[in-house]
Amino acid sequence: MFSVKMTDTKLLKDMFQAIAILVDEATFNVNPENIQLRAMDPSRVAMIDFQWPKTIFDEYQCDQPQKICVNIAELLKLLRRTGRDETVQLTLTPDTPKLQITITGKYTRTFNMPTLEPQEEETPTPKITFKTEAKATTEGLKQAIEDAQLVSDHVRVEADPEKITLQATGDLMGATIELKKGSDALLDLQTQEPSKATFSLSYLAEIIKAASATSEIATLQFANDMPIRIDFHQPKEGKLTFYLAPRIEVE
Amino acid sequence: MKRPFGRTKKIAKKKTNLSIFDVIDKPTLVNELKRNVDLWTTRQNPTGLCVACKGSRMLCGKTRCPVLVRINSFIRTFPLIKNVNIDGASPPSVFVGRIGYPYVYAGPLVPPIHEDTSHYDLPELWFGKPIDEIVNFRSMLVRGKQRIHVNRFHEAGKIIDRTRELALASSAIDVELSLKRPPRGCLVFSDGVQPFGPSAPIRDLRVGSSRWDHNIEKAYYDTDLKARPAVLELYEKGVLVTRIQRAFSVGALGVGQQRRLVPTRWSITAVDSTVSKGLMKQVRTFPLVGEYRLYESSYLSNQFEILMIPDAWSYEAIEAWYPGTVWNPSGRKVVMYGDSEGYEGRTTYASIGGCYYAARLAVCELLVKEQRQATIVVLREARPGYIMPVGVWQVRENVRNAMKNRPLKFNTLAEALQRIAAQFRIPLKQWESKSTLITRARLQRKLTQYT
Repeated sequence: MFSVKMTDTKLLKDMFQAIAILVDEATFNVNPENIQLRAMDPSRVAMIDFQWPKTIFDEYQCDQPQKICVNIAELLKLLRRTGRDETVQLTLTPDTPKLQITITGKYTRTFNMPTLEPQEEETPTPKITFKTEAKATTEGLKQAIEDAQLVSDHVRVEADPEKITLQATGDLMGATIELKKGSDALLDLQTQEPSKATFSLSYLAEIIKAASATSEIATLQFANDMPIRIDFHQPKEGKLTFYLAPRIEVE
Repeated sequence: MKRPFGRTKKIAKKKTNLSIFDVIDKPTLVNELKRNVDLWTTRQNPTGLCVACKGSRMLCGKTRCPVLVRINSFIRTFPLIKNVNIDGASPPSVFVGRIGYPYVYAGPLVPPIHEDTSHYDLPELWFGKPIDEIVNFRSMLVRGKQRIHVNRFHEAGKIIDRTRELALASSAIDVELSLKRPPRGCLVFSDGVQPFGPSAPIRDLRVGSSRWDHNIEKAYYDTDLKARPAVLELYEKGVLVTRIQRAFSVGALGVGQQRRLVPTRWSITAVDSTVSKGLMKQVRTFPLVGEYRLYESSYLSNQFEILMIPDAWSYEAIEAWYPGTVWNPSGRKVVMYGDSEGYEGRTTYASIGGCYYAARLAVCELLVKEQRQATIVVLREARPGYIMPVGVWQVRENVRNAMKNRPLKFNTLAEALQRIAAQFRIPLKQWESKSTLITRARLQRKLTQYT
């Protein structure tokens, strides 16, 4: 028996939206303490690591650890029907393979959707020694990425002790975006050595846009030509972390 | 602006342009054309190249003169089509124009001969035929036409009803086509136009009895079945894409009230796109191919190299046109166009048009057959020998042919690219810089490399 209830339906929707960026069929690990998901996108370029403790939910009931796999786009379709001041309850009982979604507001509706064969394969966490750690507002990041997207499909992220520079070079146009340490956008910056790495903007933009709906502040960690780790701070002991592999610049 | 039904735009009086005789250097052709002056009109090439060239100097850069190819087959049809009554076996075939949508010209295509003509309108059987043969039998198809609003069938009367019936026939069908005037051909001195037979407005149409393809018949009578599932179901049951497209085009599929004629051109791409979208859904669930693969095919001076990369489904099509080929008539440099989509597919129309979808269908067919997933890059080089466009079927069948052959297998991307470089005349650098997916495969690292 697994059952959770949540009144903050916006947060729930935004979180599933962020998960849907990378995965179609999401396998959640649920246990009496929390709910987790770790998965890579189909081309194994990006990874999501998500965890919500039971305290985020208004009600949380889970008698034993289990895996639940659902089509996340279909689930979102149903969740979009929730309005403000409504409550969502997700229930999975052992006697049926269907997940039940109950939305309660002025009236009550109950949807059910099939659960799928869960993925058994565990997603390993990349092992990286990061050289730079920066704390930024998600709004600042989102704006910076949107600027870069105007001119190119990839961006180079560079850090020195004073600032982070985003360098985008397209076929015809280019852009340089600077985030200075201590500014409104960049709250903190620590660099052991100057670091730079290039990332695909299509991934970066989608991740940052979706995840920033759930979080105000993010921690970035990266190193020379290594994957970037972006940690979107969550309330209580929640966790929403993305990894994104770099593009290597030859020539 | 809506035009009242049935009234057509007044076109300036058509003049038969006699300067055509200056353009052709062969006295026999000229005599034949002169004798049948009322059966054709001309449209000039604005560049005036043809007048200077007279079909012999190849000023347009092609290896043969497309106008001469067309005139040759035209002349052969003259004796057969002088009549206002065309009596023959339709393959079956219909054509729905797109000009003036939603008021379009629709009608059957009928050759003036009684034999098995079924291959006249079945591109699935055309692969490998030389361009002259295709132009020949396409020019035999006389097009009867009537202007009609795409979903007001009842206003148009029995002619359009019979046209729609005819389109669903499973084999060649006897047709008596009576026209308001002798059909007229148009000799177009430019390359953007597919070879086409002569046409005239219909006076009356009589259609012999026919058997319908029973799968299509079932979909036709199911007026609650939406067009998309209908198309997919027919494809699953093995109905040829051309037949589905023909039924789609005459509004034989879809929910009853919403059925409509779909211009032939649009319907081809609509069916290619719908079917391949259905196949892509399956492809995404399959395991990746084990190695880099290269499939090759060449037909009508179109060289195809299809690269499979062992990665999640994504698709890209790039075509390069030599100066002097169909869509790049006056340029001096090679022109390259391309478009691509990621794992999730696309929601906007591909900038390079119908061939994007035709090739996508052909590659998906193989992936589904082999139960494999891959990143696909379709590269096409159109060379000067491609003297006139023949339609997107060329792309579909050419890629299908490539897929039939045993692929070349490589362990690394670099080796596969080496082979591509050797097959193409355009330098690899240009292909690489144009291709989003090849660039991605070269530069994008994977997280699995860091665990």
